[in-house]
Amino acid sequence: MSRVSENSNMHAIKYSLGKTKEKMENLQLKGSTLRSITRPSDNPISNVEALSLQSRIKDNKQYTRNAEYAELHLTATEKSIEQITEILNKAKEIALAQSSDFYDQDIRKNVANEVRQLRYQALAIANKRVGNKYLFGGFKTLSKPFDDQGVYSGDQGKMTLEISKDFFIPVNLTGYEVFYSSNDTSSKQPNPFEQVSPEDVNPTKVKDREEALEVSRDLASEKSDSQQNIYEERSNVFSLLEGLTNSLENNDPSFTQSLLEKFDESITRLVTMRTKVGSIMNSVDSSKLSNEDQTIDAQTRRSSLVDADVTELFSDITRQQNILKSTYQASQGLMSKSLIDFLR
Amino acid sequence: MANILGIGNTGLIAAKKSLETTGHNIANVNTEGYSRQRVMQQSNVPINKSGLIQGTGVRVRSVERVHDKFVEQRLQKATSNESYSSYRHEELTQIENIFNEIDNEGLNNIINKFYNAFRELSAQPDNETMRSVVRDTANLVAKDFNRIRSSLDSVSRNIDSKIDGEIKDINAIAKNVTQLNVKIAELEASGSETGDLRDQRDVAIRELSKSFKIHTYSDERNNFIISAVGVGTLVAGSEFQELAAAGTSESESSNGMDGSIEVFFASRPAHKITQKFKSGRLSSLIRVRNEDTRRLQDDVDRLAFDFANSVNAIHRRGFVGRQIEQGADGRTVASDAKGPVTGINFFKVSDNPKDASLNLQLSDEVQEDISNIVTALSPNSPGDNRISLAISKLQHEKFMAGGTATIEEEFLKTVGNVGVEVGKAKLDAEQNEGIRVQVETIKERTSGVSLDEEAANMVKFQHAYDAAAKVMQTANEMFDTVLSIKR
Repeated sequence: MSRVSENSNMHAIKYSLGKTKEKMENLQLKGSTLRSITRPSDNPISNVEALSLQSRIKDNKQYTRNAEYAELHLTATEKSIEQITEILNKAKEIALAQSSDFYDQDIRKNVANEVRQLRYQALAIANKRVGNKYLFGGFKTLSKPFDDQGVYSGDQGKMTLEISKDFFIPVNLTGYEVFYSSNDTSSKQPNPFEQVSPEDVNPTKVKDREEALEVSRDLASEKSDSQQNIYEERSNVFSLLEGLTNSLENNDPSFTQSLLEKFDESITRLVTMRTKVGSIMNSVDSSKLSNEDQTIDAQTRRSSLVDADVTELFSDITRQQNILKSTYQASQGLMSKSLIDFLR
Repeated sequence: MANILGIGNTGLIAAKKSLETTGHNIANVNTEGYSRQRVMQQSNVPINKSGLIQGTGVRVRSVERVHDKFVEQRLQKATSNESYSSYRHEELTQIENIFNEIDNEGLNNIINKFYNAFRELSAQPDNETMRSVVRDTANLVAKDFNRIRSSLDSVSRNIDSKIDGEIKDINAIAKNVTQLNVKIAELEASGSETGDLRDQRDVAIRELSKSFKIHTYSDERNNFIISAVGVGTLVAGSEFQELAAAGTSESESSNGMDGSIEVFFASRPAHKITQKFKSGRLSSLIRVRNEDTRRLQDDVDRLAFDFANSVNAIHRRGFVGRQIEQGADGRTVASDAKGPVTGINFFKVSDNPKDASLNLQLSDEVQEDISNIVTALSPNSPGDNRISLAISKLQHEKFMAGGTATIEEEFLKTVGNVGVEVGKAKLDAEQNEGIRVQVETIKERTSGVSLDEEAANMVKFQHAYDAAAKVMQTANEMFDTVLSIKR
């Protein structure tokens, strides 16, 4: 028989009460927050995963905002191209009608005025703004890209946005490619990181940054001579309309006729542009959808990590309450009676 | 017949002493560290009387405390371990709170916001409002780095003052033990009972073993010795070595912080013993301060340093968001009325990671003028978002830990480690508490007072007392009988 003393009793009672109450307290905290994790040590791995999921969710929200912004821009761009195309079609009809000798000089003068008007419209579209931002200025979004002569003063800058992780899309067309000409019809965008040369990021390699800087700096700012030549040779929308006006005023139907082919060329180019913008918008739409899906997945996963299973939790609480009650009863049995009560 | 009276008397005395001891036990039932006492009694030496061996009653040899010194030693060890792990758990929980961001915004959340602010800026690089949002968010990041680091620092500082208090307590207890040693030696010399004093000394020693792991023994001259394991003798009989604690300079301190408290013997101030204590509160506090907190301070510094530098490296490449004069050759002027136009740092950085998180803040340029927040890789291009895009992509770039982890992964690794450490400490604390309670129960089983037992003893001794009195009464009556013969 092992000896039992008053204090060994008390130790046993205190310890078991303390244990049960601690568990109760813990469950109570979970019950009031409905979280299965209230501090990192509750489950270090789930905690870390939940945090990184939270980041994913926030990232996706931002990607969606970017996508919406891109949509706004692309819609405006598409609309503008559509209007330009209409203008060119109208001009082409006029050119077609005026390429024969059917009309006389006075009528042509009037028609010339109409074409001049069309040219102003085209110019207005070319200088269109979304907010305070010029749509067709490349990176020079705060200054007017086209002057009255239709000379482009913007640059070739393509603004890209990340609309889902590591997926970049161009959100603008430059005035140059819309109104002048373009050879590049691909919509593939490089990761901006490659443009800024990634080794810079590693803080240990800060040393020879300065030299590399000079070389790659002026990517978009300078217009090369070869580009200038293309301007002259190719038909641009404004010189085309200008040419048409002049030929009408000079009553020169044969020149008018020679412009027809160029009109066709420009219209074809614009249609291609529109298709390009349309396909970019499609990918924006699908990215938005997949972002949403990912967000929901991430939220579900996070909830399963962090939130308490309510049924399980409350059945645990009930069970623990019963344990506490029976601990009290058991302790009462030990504490209330002693031999002295029976010695008379 | 006088014998009968004498024998009855010894019984009376013995029963009375037993009753006294029972009373003493009952009175001390709730005294901490009290060991129950019991009367050791023995039959008196018999005498030879006319060829017959005859007993002469009972005598009380001694009053002894019921005590097992091996259980006591186990209890000391268990107490050391328990206070070590429960203090570790307590301190680490404070650190854990710094990194807890399940329901509130922590660094991870804020860094994420920072990158997303740049992502938003990349959609509208020509929007002034977005620039100030970026600046506000960046300020938040800097502040949160500051918060984490200064909270860690204050954990360290708190530990410093706890160590200081701990050393004072230890000295007081050690002094108390020496006084008890003296008293016990004196009483033992005069042959008195020392059970109660020994109990008091055991309580003091157990208190001491909460602070560090100790070893006790009596040397050949019966001096009671207490030594701190790993450090040396603390108490020897009536002498004790005083411990002292004092702040030291940054280069001398064991955790690289200026003014942190170090421990040494008062007689040998040049000889640091801070890290030599084993187990117990002291080494627990010191380990949290010198290892756990220290490592986290370094981690957070490294994180802040690399974070700031990575952003700076890209930020410096671009041009400011305002009109810049360009020469005929396309070259830009180096600086305008508002300062340089390129090569601007976003964060202010020093050249090494030390205290980087504590000092992290925006560079003066960015703080003063939001046009100094760079988005464009080429000058005079308000719509150029390449720099801000690249900064936002830093979020997914593995440039930490030798190119194996993103900044988020690296930070979450730190948070994960904190969680694991706290979890381990909690488990240890629970286990060690269980062990201590177990040993204490074992001790109380042998040494503790049982009221039931004492009640039974009381009845038993009372009966013995009654019976002894009856013996004397009988002897008295026998005298009466003999005396009445004469009448």
